[in-house]
Amino acid sequence: MSQQFQDKKSESRSTESPFAPHTEEDVQAMLDAIGAESVEDLFDVPSSVQFDGSFGIESSSEQEVVRDVSDTLARNDQLTEFLGRGRYEHYVPSIIDNLSLRSEFLTSYTQYQPEIAQGFLQALFEYQSMLVELTGLEVANCSMYDAATALAEAALLADRVRGTSGSKVLVSDLVREERLSVLENYLIGSDMTVETYPTVDGATDPTALADNVTDETVMIYVENPTAVGTIEENLSTVGDIAEEHDAAFCLGTDPVALALLEEPSNVGADVVVGDASALGLSPAYGLGLGLFACREDYLRQVPGRLVGASEDANDNRAYTLTLQTREQHIRRERATSNICTNQAWVALRTAIHVAWLGATGLVDLAEECVQLPRELAADLNDIDGVTAPVHDRHHFREFLAETPRDAERVAADLESNGFAVHAVDEHQVQVCITDANRSERDEFVEAVREVVA
Amino acid sequence: MQRYNQAVWSETDDSRYETLLAEKNEQTVDVEERTTLPDELTRESVTLPELSEPEIARHYTRLSQMNYGVESGPFPLGSCTMKYNPKFTEEVAALADAAVHPDRSAESTQGTLAVYARLQDYLGRIGGMDAVTLQPPAGASGEFTGILVARAYHEHNDEGNRSKVIVPASAHGTNFASAVMAGYEVVELPPSDDGRVDIDALEAAVGDDTAALMLTNPNTLGLFERDIEEIAEIVHDAGGLLYYDGANLNALLGQARPGDMGFDIMHFNLHKTFATPHGGGGPGAGPIGVTADLAEFLPSPHVRADGESYELYEPERSIGKVHGAMGNWLVLLKAYAYIERLGDEGLTDTSAKAVLNANYLGSQIDLDIPFGPFHHEFVASAGDRDAADFAKRMLDYGVHPPTTKWPEIVSEALMTEPTEMESQDTLDQLADAFNAVAGENEESLSTAPSSTAARRIDQTSAARNPRLSWHALE
Amino acid sequence: MEFDVPDEPYYTESHEWIELIEDTVRIGITDFAQDELGDIVFVELPAAGTDFDAGDDFAVIESIKAVSDVYAPVAGVVADINEAVESEPELVNEDPYGDGWLIELELDGDLDTESFLSASEYREQIE
Repeated sequence: MSQQFQDKKSESRSTESPFAPHTEEDVQAMLDAIGAESVEDLFDVPSSVQFDGSFGIESSSEQEVVRDVSDTLARNDQLTEFLGRGRYEHYVPSIIDNLSLRSEFLTSYTQYQPEIAQGFLQALFEYQSMLVELTGLEVANCSMYDAATALAEAALLADRVRGTSGSKVLVSDLVREERLSVLENYLIGSDMTVETYPTVDGATDPTALADNVTDETVMIYVENPTAVGTIEENLSTVGDIAEEHDAAFCLGTDPVALALLEEPSNVGADVVVGDASALGLSPAYGLGLGLFACREDYLRQVPGRLVGASEDANDNRAYTLTLQTREQHIRRERATSNICTNQAWVALRTAIHVAWLGATGLVDLAEECVQLPRELAADLNDIDGVTAPVHDRHHFREFLAETPRDAERVAADLESNGFAVHAVDEHQVQVCITDANRSERDEFVEAVREVVA
Repeated sequence: MQRYNQAVWSETDDSRYETLLAEKNEQTVDVEERTTLPDELTRESVTLPELSEPEIARHYTRLSQMNYGVESGPFPLGSCTMKYNPKFTEEVAALADAAVHPDRSAESTQGTLAVYARLQDYLGRIGGMDAVTLQPPAGASGEFTGILVARAYHEHNDEGNRSKVIVPASAHGTNFASAVMAGYEVVELPPSDDGRVDIDALEAAVGDDTAALMLTNPNTLGLFERDIEEIAEIVHDAGGLLYYDGANLNALLGQARPGDMGFDIMHFNLHKTFATPHGGGGPGAGPIGVTADLAEFLPSPHVRADGESYELYEPERSIGKVHGAMGNWLVLLKAYAYIERLGDEGLTDTSAKAVLNANYLGSQIDLDIPFGPFHHEFVASAGDRDAADFAKRMLDYGVHPPTTKWPEIVSEALMTEPTEMESQDTLDQLADAFNAVAGENEESLSTAPSSTAARRIDQTSAARNPRLSWHALE
Repeated sequence: MEFDVPDEPYYTESHEWIELIEDTVRIGITDFAQDELGDIVFVELPAAGTDFDAGDDFAVIESIKAVSDVYAPVAGVVADINEAVESEPELVNEDPYGDGWLIELELDGDLDTESFLSASEYREQIE
């Protein structure tokens, strides 16, 4: 039986694409039904622009592709990463792949037919709810692309909601260059430019901030923890300063930090952005999940998709995308953003991870992010010539360490020893430690001892 | 007709499936008790669900059963290219070597960079473009990036006064929004009677203030812009650039290339044309390709080969960054694997079968399709029926309906794109669903669906009284 | 379908109605307009004191799938807005000429009634 079946398939399949099911007979029958001579006849493309060349891409079997990609990626060095600066790794439990890869989730589309997409809608509603709980703000969207684009969208939102026009987005000087570059690009269509204010010893100094805020300031952006791992200590004052100048206060963070550090709504934050994929995903070379939450007053100006609860015709609770008139497919050039495709599937994974950890697990994971860098910094500080942490503050996941040697050289030598760290300044490296790399801590400390000697 | 009933789970008397944070699941944790940080740096408490792993597994499995994907059944959603997502691409995306941190050195990530360089090269060949960046994380981001590149190009040539981007009325809403975000005024181009670009209107619209024309080809009606060479000439003569929206590239793979048609900039939707899963809304990837003249403006960093190895560098007049890292890497990786699997012949066959399927399906349904000849998709009219109701009723037949009420040039539009993945049998089943609904009375349509986890959902109350988190539920 | 077109107000081709109340005019959208829009879910009104020229868009009305501008039929300064429709947008559907009014403008000069449609002319337009 199965032999016959196989023969039929292999004899008559016309196809060069393994993912189109047509047999030669099917193609002929379909052409007959259409009333066309050949598939080529269906193309209404002038001959002058037809492509009759070749891409020069050879097809391969699945097995060959898997082997080729595996071999290619194996050219990546096997390093234990002590890297962070906005992208973090935590252990991703097996259940996340197992559930999120269910094809009903993975291969579905944006929920424009909500009746048949209740599952994903509820999962996104729960994701939004988790962020509302963690931020204390009333509204969270289904996702932006990453932390940088979420920050940029926050600035555009701040400009729209402000009563009077302004021209400056004021940003902590610890914020990564990459994020500033994205922000500047998103501001091209507005009158706004980006300015930085100086931090003092790795954190925001209220006086230095106040000196830089004017009535032209549309938004103040601060990260907590900062890109160098320090925990900010004066956020309420930042909130007050922002309010005095009618500027929005945008706080950058992530869902693990949110479980432990000051609640954004309590310090006067109007918008919270960040990368939420610290839960649910590997560092994935920077594929992110743009966290975006804000005050309810801004609801009509929120970029991106929102899931809301409603009822169906039987009066049962149901979920649907809502307030879509904000979005590009309806409002076009007046939309709150051009975003369409977002990072929904990553949001699903993050939500599963939060559910798996639960309140206790999430808070304990966050506390580990306080204790691990404290312990590692102490170990490194014991090495001759090394000062760690550079900033005498509380840290979250990561910290700066001063080394007697050139930081680039230290990082390169550590790489030869199987470890990756950031070289951030002439003599400063940045080290990130979480549950994901803690088991390599002692080996790492030994390697640092060796390379700085 | 096949029978269809979607799973529906309820736990309570009022037929409600509880959110994770139903009261029985919630746990409030006193944060200050569990931390070594001083109280003034921490929050007081966190309230989140506290469930066992088996409970979580069941919750999300049930949710998945109340969701419809490409593997559930036909998904002919126009403009979205809902094709089969091969399983092996997930396998390569799960490789440990794919999980590296974005700040790793170029020297230690030669494998990742090799995939970048090769995919840039492949996409360049497929689109007929000289240089490709993989940084934009979605199609709309690609549009924005492309228009930023156009802007940088004009400014570099002392033509920064070009202030307008021309967009046909039938274009995707993202085109309008992206052009505005990049600082341009949008000029909307009305269509001609045959649904294509009206050459006279285009000639009237272009001028020395034209920065670019954004065009989808085949357009959203599935029609190839036959006058594309003349269109390109008109735009180029005015000093503008021609932008290709790649949403419909699945129609043309291996048959025609945007670069050969005169386009200067294009984006690819890897989650459409190159079979990476849509993931319930994303992540996608929106790489852009450009002609040689524009390559120096591409986002930073860019990847290039340096002998046997690969390096990151900043293009000379780069616009900077549009994503915090290097884009949606795992999506790029899956698309790379898909392209390698298909090769030249498979890619060309893909568009052939996509166009064959759309034309066959179009020939089997009893609805008017006002514009043709169409390619990978067609826009049928529901006639005197409401297209949205028509779609809701189709759900009851176990198929996902087309995109509805758009483009507006067709009244009560049903924009239908079956993709290459469907067999003749499945297309017949889809046609049966179309035809059955076309033969039903208005009440049957307006009360549909009845086979899905939820009945018709009240959109009005959802919008008038937004409840956006479990905190807003009673 | 029969739409309500009361005799008293003046009308515009873009489906607004205008009613003179001493020195101010009250403005809303017609029964026909609210029906075309469908269930209205959100109304955005200008702040009192805002200046408008005739033809300016002064309000945004949203249904589920559409966004519509409402245009000022005459020049003037916003004297009052109907806050009730901001919290209960359905009033525009239910009572477009009564509780669903939108704004009151203080006129710059006299009302040039010639430029508007009468009830009977408007009835003809929407037939």
